[in-house]
Amino acid sequence: MVRELTQMETPQIDSTRIAEAARGALERGEIERREKVFSVAGLGVSYNGKSALEGVDLDVFRNTVTAFIGPSGCGKSTFIRCFNRMNDLIPGAKVHGTVLYHGADLYAREVDPVEIRRRIGMVFQKPNPFPKSIYDNIAFGPRVLGMRGDMDQRVEGALRQAALWDEVKGRLKDGALGLSGGQQQRLCIARALAVEPDVILMDEPASALDPISTTRIEDLMHELKKRYTIVIVTHNMQQAARVADMTAFFSVLVAEDGSARRGVLVEYDTTTKIFTTPADKRTEDYVTGRFG
Amino acid sequence: MRIELQAELDALEAGFQETGEIVLRSIRGVVDALRTQDVELCDEVIAFDDEVDERYMGLERQVEMVLARQTPVATDLRLVLAVLHSALHLERVGDQCVTIAKLTKLSSHLGTRQAVVEGLVDMGERCAEMVKLSLDAFARRDLESARSLHPLDELVDRANRQVFQEVLGYVHDAEALEWGMRQITVARCFERIGDNAVDIGEQTAFIVTGELTEFTDASH
Amino acid sequence: MTSLELRQETSRRSRAWKNRLFKAAMLFSMLVAFGTLAVLLVDIVLTGWPELDRQLLSGPPSTVAEEAGARPAILATLYLGVLVLLLSVPIGILTAVYLEEYANRERWWNRLIEVNIQNLAAVPSIVYGILGLAFIVRGIGLGRVVLAGALILTLVVLPTVVVASREAIRAVPDSIRQGAFALGATKWQVVWRQVLPAAIPGMATGSILALSRAVGETAPLIMVGAVVYVAFDPTVLGAYTALPVQIYNWTKQPDPTFQTLAAAGAIVLLVIVLTMNAMAIFIRNRYRKRW
Repeated sequence: MVRELTQMETPQIDSTRIAEAARGALERGEIERREKVFSVAGLGVSYNGKSALEGVDLDVFRNTVTAFIGPSGCGKSTFIRCFNRMNDLIPGAKVHGTVLYHGADLYAREVDPVEIRRRIGMVFQKPNPFPKSIYDNIAFGPRVLGMRGDMDQRVEGALRQAALWDEVKGRLKDGALGLSGGQQQRLCIARALAVEPDVILMDEPASALDPISTTRIEDLMHELKKRYTIVIVTHNMQQAARVADMTAFFSVLVAEDGSARRGVLVEYDTTTKIFTTPADKRTEDYVTGRFG
Repeated sequence: MRIELQAELDALEAGFQETGEIVLRSIRGVVDALRTQDVELCDEVIAFDDEVDERYMGLERQVEMVLARQTPVATDLRLVLAVLHSALHLERVGDQCVTIAKLTKLSSHLGTRQAVVEGLVDMGERCAEMVKLSLDAFARRDLESARSLHPLDELVDRANRQVFQEVLGYVHDAEALEWGMRQITVARCFERIGDNAVDIGEQTAFIVTGELTEFTDASH
Repeated sequence: MTSLELRQETSRRSRAWKNRLFKAAMLFSMLVAFGTLAVLLVDIVLTGWPELDRQLLSGPPSTVAEEAGARPAILATLYLGVLVLLLSVPIGILTAVYLEEYANRERWWNRLIEVNIQNLAAVPSIVYGILGLAFIVRGIGLGRVVLAGALILTLVVLPTVVVASREAIRAVPDSIRQGAFALGATKWQVVWRQVLPAAIPGMATGSILALSRAVGETAPLIMVGAVVYVAFDPTVLGAYTALPVQIYNWTKQPDPTFQTLAAAGAIVLLVIVLTMNAMAIFIRNRYRKRW
């Protein structure tokens, strides 16, 4: 008899990727069980005494893509530069509050910013390949850091990870500036990967690129997050919706007399939550495009 | 390109087809229960509907997420909307099965009349065929198969009318009449299952052509 | 036509006129500048052509015009050139690197240097000559030697080298530095491996141009004792005369052959300077980067 209704097997799904997607986007609980790569508490940044960003508390989790979104002037680029101490290079910039990297204070006196930047790489908004050959671009990082080993292998490995190898393998000695915009940006990603980082920071990585290059970079991020932890700043919130596991929305707080403007963190949650049922009205206004 | 979007769409469709498989089992289960007047099987079908509802809600949540995160357009968007609608139709089919099961249980003590039971089982099997066909057509985006659901539905409607006629003949036997009236409702449920299958076929046509049309007009 | 159309027509005509007038003025200025230069060049070449021969280039000077050559002068000029290059380029580049990459712009002394570099480039070279005479020739007792001349000339061209190098360093986009820092390079690595290699074309051009100016300087050399008559090949720590000085001296001679010789010497000097400038342009074009 047909008693086996409930015991009947459900059809097997054979593709692992479909299985992953079928589980739905990562649940918050699942993400929060992962190791905290960065732990930010009470962070504020000021330039020459003027506050640009205040009171940020945030955790970045391993092997996730975390996106910072918000209107211009909300301090998201300033914030991301705190993670690799690039703000140190700006005279007059002061950072207060704590940033813990794997539990250790990033801004402690004995920490060497140079060593930090090897572990925490950065890709910039406008692709900035060095005026050298493709090979020398990738090799630059390992060379200045004194990394040993087969350089050819390193270069190939980095280019493969950045999905650029097939396009340039025959012309590694050619100038990097001869590549297209999208290729240059992938070159910059490969350059960052060559030094074997732990985290990759991306400051609006696709905003200077055409839509197809943008999609390639987004697909790349999905691959890269399996090995690295990625933090991106983007002014395109659909991009954040597509690529990020966690999204932080920043907004601008204007002083009563309109003189001072500084950035604040409004909401930080899973991307699904931010784009389906955001808790804060400001977030809702921003993602629905009604932000005025 | 857009690996994530594709994966999510594939997952959504896979989930939909799975739900379809499960609903098919419900139909077959209830047809068997009808044929053999198996009350326990009826209870199983009723209990099983919770799973159908759960899957339906899961699909709805998935649709919401895909729309919010991936902003699909063109064919992708039509696919997502079609899955949403078709899932609802599947859920309704599940509810129809529950109704049939409940009615069968309810009227089991009244005995059966062979002609009507055969007619109902026939309807049930045709409905199962139609649902299967609609799911296959959806998977293959096969417009012809989807359109062929309409004539099949005509057959189910005819069978429904036949059952009705048959029961009209029981007017002199009170117990048979009571039983027969319940079976009219069962026939009606099967007829609705058929309609839902046609609706799923219309959603397939929507994905392929971009137009939402009824395969038949309301005067039918 | 309506009055509006008439006004527009008039304004159009007067604008066209102003356009033509402006073009004519520019053309005229160009003709004056290049015309004068062309006339001078042609005059020199025509005057000096008869005496332009091997004797001039390889023979020692002589009071007899027919036998006079400019060999020691030419050699000394070349020595001076090389020495100035070796002295001014490293010092100039390192100064520029310090000012652009390391100096904190807020500090007053850096701002002072900033303002005065340009002033130094504008100081008349004879002032350097006087200073050189006082401090280098007499002060430290080096005497009237090639090295002393080279040191003076270095001072003359150093500000130019610094300014040109600074421009070249500034032209390197900051995004390159940011990219290098973000990979974990130290300040020195960024400067040495990215900024300087990218700035070399500009720095080379600037240095060669400064050099060609040094080679043509006369006044300071006269001040620090590029002697009138030197018949032997110069050495670094020996007495010398330079080509411009030699030319100057020949023009003072009554014998007309010496005038022709002077013109011929001027042609040689021109060739040396123009060659150097051509090299600078070649280097600049060859290494022109597309940022």
